[in-house]
Amino acid sequence: MPGGDFHPWLFVIVAAWVLVCALGVVAFKKIMYSAVSMVFCFLGVAFAYALLYAPLVAVVQLLVYVGAISIVIIFAIMLTEVQDGGYELFFNRQTLAAAIVALVGAAVLAIVALSADIGEVSEKALTPGLRPLAALLFDRYVFPFELVSLVLVAAMVGAIVLARRQEERR
Amino acid sequence: MNPLDWWLLLAILLFCIGAFGVLSRRNIIVVVMSLELMLNAVNIALVATANFRGGSPGAGTLFSLFIIVLAAAEVTVGLAIVLANYRNRRTVQTDTFDDLKG
Amino acid sequence: MEGTAFMKTAVALIPLLPLLGFIVTLVLGKRFFGTKAHLLPVALVTVSAALSVYAFSWAFTHQHETFEWNAFTWVAAGRFTVEWGFQVDTLTGIMLLVVGIIGMLVHYYSIGYMHGDEGYYRFFAYLNLFMFAMFVLILANNYLLLFLGWEGVGLCSYLLISFWFRKKSASQAGKKAFLVNRVGDFGFTLGMFLIFTATGTLQFSGVFAHADEGLIAAGTMTWICVLLFTGAVGKSAQFPLHVWLPDAMEGPTPVSALIHAATMVNAGVYMVARSYPLFINSDGAMMLVMVVGTFTAIYAAYIAITQNDIKKVIAYSTISSLGFMFMALGAGAWVAGIFYLFAHGFFKGLLFLCSGSVIHAMGGEQDMRKMGGLRKKIPLTFWTMLVGALAMVGMVPFAGFWAKDEIVGGTFVRGYYVVWAVALVTVLLTAIYMGRLIFMTFWGENRSDAEVQAHIHESPPVMTVPLVLLAIPAALLGLVVGLPPESGWIHSFLEPVFFDVESEPFEWAGEGGLLMLVSLAVVIVGILIAHRLWVRDVEIPGRLAARFPATYAASYNKMYMDAIYEVVPIRSTINFAGWLWSFFDVKVIDGAVNGVAWLGGWAGDRLRPIQTGRVQNYTLYVFGGMVVLVVVLAWVWVS
Repeated sequence: MPGGDFHPWLFVIVAAWVLVCALGVVAFKKIMYSAVSMVFCFLGVAFAYALLYAPLVAVVQLLVYVGAISIVIIFAIMLTEVQDGGYELFFNRQTLAAAIVALVGAAVLAIVALSADIGEVSEKALTPGLRPLAALLFDRYVFPFELVSLVLVAAMVGAIVLARRQEERR
Repeated sequence: MNPLDWWLLLAILLFCIGAFGVLSRRNIIVVVMSLELMLNAVNIALVATANFRGGSPGAGTLFSLFIIVLAAAEVTVGLAIVLANYRNRRTVQTDTFDDLKG
Repeated sequence: MEGTAFMKTAVALIPLLPLLGFIVTLVLGKRFFGTKAHLLPVALVTVSAALSVYAFSWAFTHQHETFEWNAFTWVAAGRFTVEWGFQVDTLTGIMLLVVGIIGMLVHYYSIGYMHGDEGYYRFFAYLNLFMFAMFVLILANNYLLLFLGWEGVGLCSYLLISFWFRKKSASQAGKKAFLVNRVGDFGFTLGMFLIFTATGTLQFSGVFAHADEGLIAAGTMTWICVLLFTGAVGKSAQFPLHVWLPDAMEGPTPVSALIHAATMVNAGVYMVARSYPLFINSDGAMMLVMVVGTFTAIYAAYIAITQNDIKKVIAYSTISSLGFMFMALGAGAWVAGIFYLFAHGFFKGLLFLCSGSVIHAMGGEQDMRKMGGLRKKIPLTFWTMLVGALAMVGMVPFAGFWAKDEIVGGTFVRGYYVVWAVALVTVLLTAIYMGRLIFMTFWGENRSDAEVQAHIHESPPVMTVPLVLLAIPAALLGLVVGLPPESGWIHSFLEPVFFDVESEPFEWAGEGGLLMLVSLAVVIVGILIAHRLWVRDVEIPGRLAARFPATYAASYNKMYMDAIYEVVPIRSTINFAGWLWSFFDVKVIDGAVNGVAWLGGWAGDRLRPIQTGRVQNYTLYVFGGMVVLVVVLAWVWVS
C-alpha cells in the first residue's frame, strides 16, 4: 500500500515495545523468560515493518521468526536442561567491558548516522507493493533466490547430520 | 531530525542491545537469541532506508527478506551444533568451551 | 730492438715454467710420476735457469738500460692501478743469476737427498712454486707485485719447513716462520700504503721519480723506509725477528740451502737495495739499517759458537751474514752489500748442501759432538765444504774475503768506527765458530757408534756434482768480479742502479790495504784459536764453559729470545684471548643471543592469556576494535 506518512506516536509505542523486549532477552536469568521476550520482540518488529509500509516483510517476519525460529529455539532450550544457579552464573566476566563497548558503540554509530548526509529523504513511503516485489524476485533476483533455496537444503541436511543420535559402532 | 533518523536510531539501539547480549551471557542459547536481535536490527535499518530513500526498486526489501531466510538457516545449524556439543559435554556454558586455549 | 720480443718471452717464462711445474706435479705427481716426480720440475727449472742466464747476459750488454714490460693490468680500482710488470736491470741480472743457478743446483741435489721420501712429489712441487714466487719477486717492477712474490716465498717457506709435517717440531717451526714473517709483512704493507699515499703509485719508476724530484717530505720518507725495512727484518731474519730461521732447520737440507741461505732471505736485502732512491734520502733510516744489521751480525755470531747442531751453526751464520749485508747497505756501501749477497748465495748454499751430504753420510745425525774424522771418509764433501768455510770466514783469495773486506773496510772509511770495531769482532767470532764446525766434523776421531761408522759413505754424484759446481764460484767469484776493490767489474755493473754512491778510492798501499790486512789477520787468529780449542786441546772449551757459565748459557740458549717472546707477546695474547672468550663471548654475545630467545619466550608467556579459547572474548575484541576504528575514522573525517 503505497503512500503514507510517519506517525510519531505509533512509532514511539512500537519502538518502546521492541526495545523493552530486547532488554528482556538480554537480562532475564531464566532462559524461558528470555525466549518469550524474544517472541514478543519479533512481534514488535513485525509491527515496525508494517509501519514502514512493508507488509510482505512483516508477514514473512511473523511466519519465519515468530513461527519457526522461536520454536526451534524453544526446542533447543528444552533439550538442553540448565541448572539454576546464582546471578553470577548468568553473566560472564567481561560483562562490564561488554556494556561499555556496546554503549560506546551505540553512541558512535548514532552520532555518525545522525550527522551523515543521507541525501534526500522523502516524507512519503517508497516501498514497492507486493506485485512489483514479486516480479523483481522472479525476474531480476531469481539467481539469489535459487541460491538461497540451496542454502536452506544444505542447512537442513547439515542440521540433521549434526544433531542425530550417534550410533554404536561395532 | 527526519523520520528516517528515528528509525535508524531504533535499529542502532536494538543492535547494541543484541551485541551486549552476545558478549555477556553465559548460556549459549541466549547468545543465539541475542544474535537474532542483531539481525533484526539490521533488517529494520534496511527496510527503513528502503522506505524513505527508495534507491534501486525493491532491492532493500528483498534484501531483508533474504536476510530473514538466511537467519533461519543459520539458527537451525547453530542450534544443531549446540545440541551435538551438549550431548558430549552436558553443558551450555560458554566459559567451558575453551579447548583452543592458550 | 729485435731482442725485445724474445726477451719478453724469456722474462715471462722464467716464473711461468716453475708455476706450471708446481701445478702439474702437485695434481698428477703422486699417481702418474711416483718416484720420477722430479723429472718435470727439474727440467722446467733448468730451462728457467738458462733463461735467467740469458736475461743476465742481456743486462750485461745493456748495462745502462732497463728492460720494462707491463704484461697486463692487474689491479684497476679507480686511482689505484697496478700492472703485472717485469723489469730487468743490472741488479735484477745479478739476482737472477743467484736464484736461477742455485735453484737449479738445489733441485738436482734434492733428487738424491729426498730419494725414497714419501712426499717426494710434494717436495718438488713446492720447490717449483718457490721458484715461481722468487722469480716474480725479483722481476717485479712495482711494490705490490714484489709483495706478491714476497708472500709467495713466505708461504713456500712455511710449506717446506714443515714438510715432514707429522713431526711436531717441524710443523711448529713452519708456523713460527710464517707468523714472525707476518709481523714484518705488516710493516711492509704499511710502508706500501704510505708510498701510495705520498706518490699515488706503487710502480718503481713512478715512486723513484717522485723521490728524486724531492716530492716526498722528509718525515714521510723516513717512515716509508723504516716500514719497508721492517719487512726486510722479518724476511731476512734480523734482530728481533730472526727467531724463525734457526727453527727453520727442521726442513730438509735442500730447503735450508735454497730458501734460507741463497734466495728467500736475500729478498729483504734485495728490496732495500731496490729502494735505494728512497733510502738515500733518509739518513735516519739508513742509520737504523746499519745499526740493526751490525747488532744482528755480532749477536748471531755469539750464539753460533756454542751450538751443536751443524745446521743450526750455519743458520746463525746466515743471520750474521745478512746482518753484514744490511750493515753495508746502511753504511752506504751499496755495491759491497750486493757483492756480498752474490758471493754469499754461493758459499752459504754450498755450506748447507755440504752439511746435508755430511748428515747423509752420518745416517741422519746432525749433532757435531757425534761427528769427527770424516776428512778421510768423505773427501769430496770435505774439500768442497772447506772451500765454502774459507769463503765464509773471509780467507783470501776466496770470494768471501773480497766481499767482506769491502764491507768492513767500507764502514771504517766512511767514518763509522764503532761499527767497524764490532764488525771486526764479528769476523773473529765467525772464524772461530766456522773453524769449530770444520774441526769438530772432519778432524779427530769419529765419536759416533760403530753401526753409524760402518755406513759412512760419500754421497751419490747427483748430490756431489752440485757441490763442486757451487765451490767454483765460491772460490773464484771474488777474483773475477770484485777486483780491484771498490772499482771492480761489479761496481761498474751496478753503477746504473746505485747512481750517486760515493765510492771511496782504494789504495793497495794505503788505508785500504791496511784495513784489508787487519781483517785478514783477525781471520787467521780466529782459525788458530779454533784449531787450538777443538783439535789440539779439546778440553779447553769444556773448562771455559765451566768458568763462564752465564756467558756460555746466554749463548747456548740463544740469548733467551724465545723465552722473551713466549712471555711477553704470546702469553699475554693467549690470556687476553681466554678472557675475551670467558667474559665477552660467553656473557655478552651469548647473553645477547640467548637473551633474544628468552625475550621471545617471555613475551609469548605474557601474551598467552589473551588466547582464552572462548569465542565471546574474541568477539569482544572484534567488536571493541571495530568501535575504536570507527571512532578514529570519524575523528579523522571530522578534522
